[in-house]
Order: sequence, then C-alpha cells, then structure tokens
Amino acid sequence: MPQLVAPDVALLPLLPILLVLTGALISTLLGFWVGRRVLTVINIVTVVLSGASMMLVWNRNLTSFAGGLQADNAAILLGLTILVGTLMTLLVSLDTAWRERVSFPEFDAMMMYAVTGCLLIVFSGDLIVMLIGLEIMSLAGYVLATFQGSRRAEESGLKYFLLGAVGSAILIYGIAFVYGATGSLNYAAIAAKVGSVSNLTPDNVGILVGGSLLLLAGFGFKIALVPFHQWTPDVYSGTSTTTFLFLSTVVKVAAFAGMLRVFGGALTDAPGWASVLQVLTAATLIIGNTAALLQTNFKRMMAYSAVAHTGFLAMCLLGTPELGGAALGYYLLVYTLMTGAALAVLAALQRTEAGFEISDMRGLYYRHPAYAIALSVCLASLAGLPPFAGFFGKYLAFQAAFQNGYVWISVLAAVTSVAALIYYLRPAMLMFMPDRTPAREYLHGQRSPTTFTVGLGVAGITVLGILPNVWYSWVANPAIWQFLAGR
Amino acid sequence: MFDPQWLPTIMIFLPLLGSLLIFVTPNRWRDEMAGFIAAVTLGLGLMIWYAGGSGLLSLNWIPALGITYSVELSGVSLALAMVTAFMSFIAVLYAARRIPNPGTMLALILAMETGLLGIFAARDLILFYVFFEDALLPSLLMLAIYGKAHRMRALVKFAAYTLFGSLLMLVSIIGVRYLGGSPTFALVDLKQHLVTGPAQTWLYLGFLTAMAVKLPLWPLHAWLPDFHEQNHDSGIPDVMGTLYKVGGYGLFTFAIPLFPDASLELRPILMGLAAFTALYSAWVAFGQKDWKRLMAYAGLSHMGFVALGVFSLNETAVIGAMYLLAFQNLYTGALFLSVGMVQERIGSLDTRVGGLMTSAGALGGLTMALWFASIAVPGFAGFIGEFSVLLGAYQVSPWLAFVAGITTIAAAAYALTAFQTTFWQARPLGGVVVRDLVHTEWLILGLPLAVAIFFGVYSAPALNLMQPAVRSVLSALGGN
Repeated sequence: MPQLVAPDVALLPLLPILLVLTGALISTLLGFWVGRRVLTVINIVTVVLSGASMMLVWNRNLTSFAGGLQADNAAILLGLTILVGTLMTLLVSLDTAWRERVSFPEFDAMMMYAVTGCLLIVFSGDLIVMLIGLEIMSLAGYVLATFQGSRRAEESGLKYFLLGAVGSAILIYGIAFVYGATGSLNYAAIAAKVGSVSNLTPDNVGILVGGSLLLLAGFGFKIALVPFHQWTPDVYSGTSTTTFLFLSTVVKVAAFAGMLRVFGGALTDAPGWASVLQVLTAATLIIGNTAALLQTNFKRMMAYSAVAHTGFLAMCLLGTPELGGAALGYYLLVYTLMTGAALAVLAALQRTEAGFEISDMRGLYYRHPAYAIALSVCLASLAGLPPFAGFFGKYLAFQAAFQNGYVWISVLAAVTSVAALIYYLRPAMLMFMPDRTPAREYLHGQRSPTTFTVGLGVAGITVLGILPNVWYSWVANPAIWQFLAGR
Repeated sequence: MFDPQWLPTIMIFLPLLGSLLIFVTPNRWRDEMAGFIAAVTLGLGLMIWYAGGSGLLSLNWIPALGITYSVELSGVSLALAMVTAFMSFIAVLYAARRIPNPGTMLALILAMETGLLGIFAARDLILFYVFFEDALLPSLLMLAIYGKAHRMRALVKFAAYTLFGSLLMLVSIIGVRYLGGSPTFALVDLKQHLVTGPAQTWLYLGFLTAMAVKLPLWPLHAWLPDFHEQNHDSGIPDVMGTLYKVGGYGLFTFAIPLFPDASLELRPILMGLAAFTALYSAWVAFGQKDWKRLMAYAGLSHMGFVALGVFSLNETAVIGAMYLLAFQNLYTGALFLSVGMVQERIGSLDTRVGGLMTSAGALGGLTMALWFASIAVPGFAGFIGEFSVLLGAYQVSPWLAFVAGITTIAAAAYALTAFQTTFWQARPLGGVVVRDLVHTEWLILGLPLAVAIFFGVYSAPALNLMQPAVRSVLSALGGN
C-alpha cells in the first residue's frame, strides 16, 4: 500500500509572492466598485508589506515545494529590487495614468500579476517554476503594452507578444534539452550533475550545450540581448511611458534574475554558453550604444539605452558567480533607480505619448529646475559618471568581466561607454542652455507622487554613489552567490 | 593644534559645501560668500604648508572592494593644490565683477575646485578616478550654460575625449590591482604589488591615454582649442579648464611609481611626442587670429614642456616640469582673464584690433608682463620651470631638448606679434574709448603676476617643497 505523502508546502517563503498576488486579486475584484487610485494605494501597501515580509525570511534559506521555491538571500536581494521598481511605477501611475489613458483597474491588476510572475522567477528553485513565473510575467506584460488603445500601443503589444512568444518557445525547448541531458529540473541537481561533467556521456554534453544555448536565446529575448533586441525600441517607445518604466526596470530585473539563477547557478560549470554570451554581449554593447547615439526622440533614445544597458549588465554574468552576482545585484538596483527616475520625469513632462524630441529639452532647467536637475543627475549616472551610483555599477561590471579573463570585453565596454556618454550628455547639457522659444513640454507635470519617486531615485543614486557600501555590503557576501552555484 | 591629517579633507569638501550654500544665500551676498569660501580654502592650503604637509589619511571606503579614502597633501600635490585654490579665488573675484547675477557661475567654480583639489590629494586610484570625473561635470555645465553658439560640438568633443581616456584608465586601474594582487587600490599598497612584464606596458598605455588627453599631448589635444574658444568670453571657465590639465601630475604621481619599467621603455617615443607637441602648437599658435585659440595653443605648448620633463624621468627635468605645471596656471589663467577684460571693453577677441595701449596703459602693461612670464623670461617662475626641463631633458636626449628649445623662440614670436597687433599699432578711427583697469581688476591681474615674479626670483620655498617628493617618486625607478 503506497504511502500518500503530503506535499511540502511551507507558506512563509511564499509570503512575499502571496502578498503581491493578493494585491493583484484585490485589483481584479474590487475594480468593479472602487476607483483605480484607491486600488493603486492598496497595491502600494501590499508591495511595501511584501518587502517587509522579505526581511522576515532574510538569512533563513527557506525552501518550499521540495526545493521548487527558494527564499534564499539572492532571491530576497533581487526581489527587493523588483519591489523598488514596482513602487516607482505605481507612484508614477498615480499621476500620469489618466493622461496616458490607461487609468482603469485592469492596469493595476495586470501589473501586479506581472510582479507576481517576476517574484516567482526570482524565488524559483527549478526550471518549471521559473518558466511559470516567466509566462505570467510575459502575458501580463503583453497586455500592459497594448493597454493604451492607440495604434502605436497595439503595434507595440503585438510585436512584443509575437517575439516574446517565440522567445518563450525557444526557452521551453531549451529546458527540455537541459532536462534531457541532466535528468533533472532542479537547479541544485543540475548544478551537481554539470559540476562533474564526467557523469554525462559525450552525447549528453552536446545536448546540454544545445539546451543552454537555447536557454540563452530565450532569455536573450526577454533581456533584449542583441540580436534578440529587435522588439525593444518599438515596444518601449510605442507603449505608454509608465509601462515603459515598468518593462524596462521590473521585467528586465526579473529576467536577469532568472539568468543569474540558471547561468550563474545551475549551468555555471556547463561548457559553451559563456563564449557565446561574450560575443552577444559585445554585439549588444556596440549596437545598443551606436543606435542610441542616432536617436532624436528622447523616449526612443531611452529605449535604446535600455538595450545598451543590457550589455553592461550582461558583463556581470560573464564574471565568476561571487563577483558577477554581487556586481549584478548592485547594478540592477542602481539601474532601476536611475531609469525609473529618468522615465518618471519623462512621463510627467511629456505632452504626448511620443515623448519629446531631444531638441525640445533645450532650456528645461529654466522652466522646471528641480526636474531638470534630477533628470541630468539620472543621465549622468546612466552615463557612469561619479559621484553617482551608475559609476560603481559600471566599475563592478568591468571588474567582474576583467577578473574572469574577459579583458577585451571590458576594453570594448570602455570604448562604447564613450558613445553612451555622448547620447546621455547631449540632452543633459541641452537642458541647461538658455532658450527663448516657447516651452514644448507639459507645464503641469510636477505632482507630488512623481516628485517623490524622482526624489527617491535621485537620493538613491547619490547615496549609493557616495557610500556604495549601503547596498553593496549586502550583496557582496560571496556565500550568497556561491550558494546559487551549489557550492 | 588641529590634526593636519584632516585638513586636506576639509580643504577638498569646503568649496563643494560652499557651492551648495550659495544657492541658499540671498542674491546680494553670494559674491561675498563665494569669495569667503575660496579664501578660507586657500588659507587651509597655507595651513597645511605651514604644518609641513598633511600626512596620509586613510579610511576604508568600500572594504569589500578594497577601495580606500586615502588623501594627502604634501610636496608637489600641495603646491598644485595651493595654486588651484589661489586661482579659484581669483576666478571667483572676476566672476563676481564680470558676470551679472553670478550665483550659478560661482557655484560651478567652487564645485570644480572640489574636484581639482581631490585629484591632487587622492592617494587611491579609484578615488583619483572619482575626483577626476567629478571635476568634469561643473566644467561641462559652465560650457553649457555660459558658452557660445557652437558650444554643443565643443562640449561633446571635450567630454568624449576625456571619457575615452578615463574609461581606458579605469580598465587599467582594475588591471593594476588584479594582476598585481594588491589588497587595496591605495597607492602605498599598489607600490608593493607591481605588475611586471608586458602586462605593465599595456596597463601603462591605458593610463597614459587618459593622462595624454588631459595633458593634453598631441594627437589627443583636438578638444582643447574648441573648448577654450566656445567658453564664456570672460575667460573664467578657461582658468578652471587650465587648472584641470592634470595629466602631468597624474603621470608623475601614479604612472611613474606604478609602471616604472614601461615608463623607461616608452621614454624615447613619449619624449618625442612631447617635444613635437611643444613645437607644433607654438607654430599653430602663431597663425591664430582669436585670442582664446591662441591662448589654447600657447597652453598646449607649455604642456608639451611639462610632458617632456615628466617623460624624461630625470630629476632636474621632473622638478622643472612640476614647477612649470604649477606656476603656468598663474599666468596662463591671468592671461585668459586679461583677454576677458579686453573683450569686455571692445567686444572682440580678435588679435588685430590695435591701439589699446593708448587708453588702457595699465591693462596693456600687466598683460605684457604676464606674456613675458608666459614666454619664460628670466625673473618669472616660468623660466625656472622651462629651463630645468630643458637642462634635464638635455641629459637624456640632447636632440629632443633642442627641438623643444626652439619653442621658446617661437613662443616669443607668437606672443609678441599678437600683443603688438592688439595693444600697439594705431587705434582704428572710430574705435571705442577703452577704459583702463578699475577696482578689483588690478588685483585679478596683479596678484598672479606678483606670485609669478616672487617664485621666479626666490624659488627656494617651492623647490624645497617639491624636491623631496620628486626624489621619492623617481627612486622607484631604481638608481636612475
């Protein structure tokens, strides 16, 4: 008589995800009776609670579903980053959603579902959970991109959906290959198998390499790695700016977290993928930065800058798990803060969803001094100028790649950063040039939630730039990242 | 007395604090506020000098990464820091006089002073990098806010050159620590763990790129003329830009101790480039019809001398180079301001306006004295610098010293020709009456000139300050 074993369901490690899911469900149901702004406030509360619950499980390495879900420290650090991005998006949406014509409850519901998916990726302990999280995130993301109901948004959503679906399909195929090669879906079990490659017969090594490359391509779609980046500029610049903020910070952080789990953890010792990733990273650095240099529209430039930043972030994955993980953990938070604050200013000051032309930004400092200074701080940080945190992010990425032997990538990144500096600096400096023509931005954009978001971002990148230890000392512990790799 | 260890830190960050305070100061007190902060900063520098150097202050900034906050002002760095504080003070004086509603400009001058003092005080490579870039932002903002019609092009060029160099330097910095195996980025630790072999040469090249852009050294100098030409007519941003030419100092403090073999190996090529820079830019300066561009090339020519001295690795020449680097700031800066005064009076930067001397004798006289300082007439500080560089470089490479020596003749040619066509010759019919120096303008041109003459006649205090520092750096080369 076979014994019926109760499944291993621990609720505590699930708590952060469940709280966010509660927000999503409340938005779905209560949306019939209350206004969206109330729901947004409720969601802000659930996000903050979710962050607090993450503190509760810090350093306890709890697992659930027999290792399918892991609330280890890496998950918590990246999860907090995701929540910061979500909080910024929610706050900005309080001000701008009505102007972007996306102010209905479904917007909040979809966003919170997407965040649930993101957290699921971050907390995943095996490939299936990761995939489920990725699908929830992506499906909600496709809807969000389309929400605005303009032709550009529809085009953007459809493009995102079609290419995202291809990416997902490739990813699933990759998962199947990896399972075929190693006989397991669990990260730790895969890492144990791969760690001693002698366990794998030569045939299986081929399958493993194929699987990891397919996974790389699948993730490449999600993080906009060249040549899988084609959708990014159109989707980001076509959708509403609030959604752009969400997709380029939260969703990207989650996809990178998934990559860190898979490539920095399960497949660390697997052959093949690193050499392909370095080529793709180099291509991303070159194409992302060069294309951004040619843009005349600020929103589209920021979309390309997101691609370029994928290149810098991907350099962290080339490092050893200890250095690369710590670098990625630091850089992702900084990236979220600076991109979030910059796009918050854009969302507040743009007249239409097309964003504004870079030439329209001339003299912004004399019309909106606070926002202009904040935006130029964000742009300086994105460009990697000290004393802002973007510099240390870049430095850590360079160091991670350099110390793992990818010297040429760090030299290439240094050279392409010059292009990055030019395209970030041009609008930043244009804002300070006196101008006598009439303003071409929305004059009533300065509202307190947006100002709070921008202030949060600017304070964050300044403090993290002058005292990087505030965050880096949390992510620097090598044990966190070695644990991912099963060491 | 107060522990001098902390003085550099206060001296570095006081101007930054001042630049923030300016925005909360009422409009009418902003000039006084900025002047007060700049003067106190200079006073702190004198206090450190009086205490005989500050000693090293080292704190763990980011322990996980081995990045320290190490600052020290002594020897060469102290001399440069004091000149920086002095010229910033002069720039504040002139900004208060020349620019209407000068709050922003004063704040930018002070913010930049922080970056510059930090560059000279930093004894940790990452900290050096941070200050190196910190000085860039105020400099760009000055150009953006106060620049002329084609400033965007000049701005992008300036920023792109600087960042191209400094990012390669960043890669080098990472490499220096990692390949050498040093526990921190502090200079004292890095000196114990030198990188050897061909890797050292490559890392040196990365470092050199940044410093060559900032020297500037041919062929990485192209940003300089545009930068000066497009900056505000008053010449204040140019004073700060001149102070920002820290390449010679960076090479001296970091490159020679950390890359001794590579410095020796590349010495002939680099000395050749330096001598060529000096001569070539003096030649180009001769053809300029715009004072700002002429000054840019004249400054570049001086920097060729500085580079020649540093690259020669000869004690006399290095001391001369540091002496020249420090004191050329005085007269090059003051000349930029005198050009600004001429522009204020006649509305033109052209070198062929003619006849200013007839009505503005004091302006003409002081300008001429400053030009004499600039072309290294004996009795001015520049002479001691250039002569020592040539004397030292001659012992290493007589022919290159000869090439650079021709520059002094060329310098006299371009400087005196342009001076003559502006200040002498006939005043064109209908030209405006030119007002002579008034109020603080006397101080603005007179003080730098007085200091340049003082250290030209009595060089011992400055030499005593620099000599031990240069000896200890060159001792890294091992008996050269």
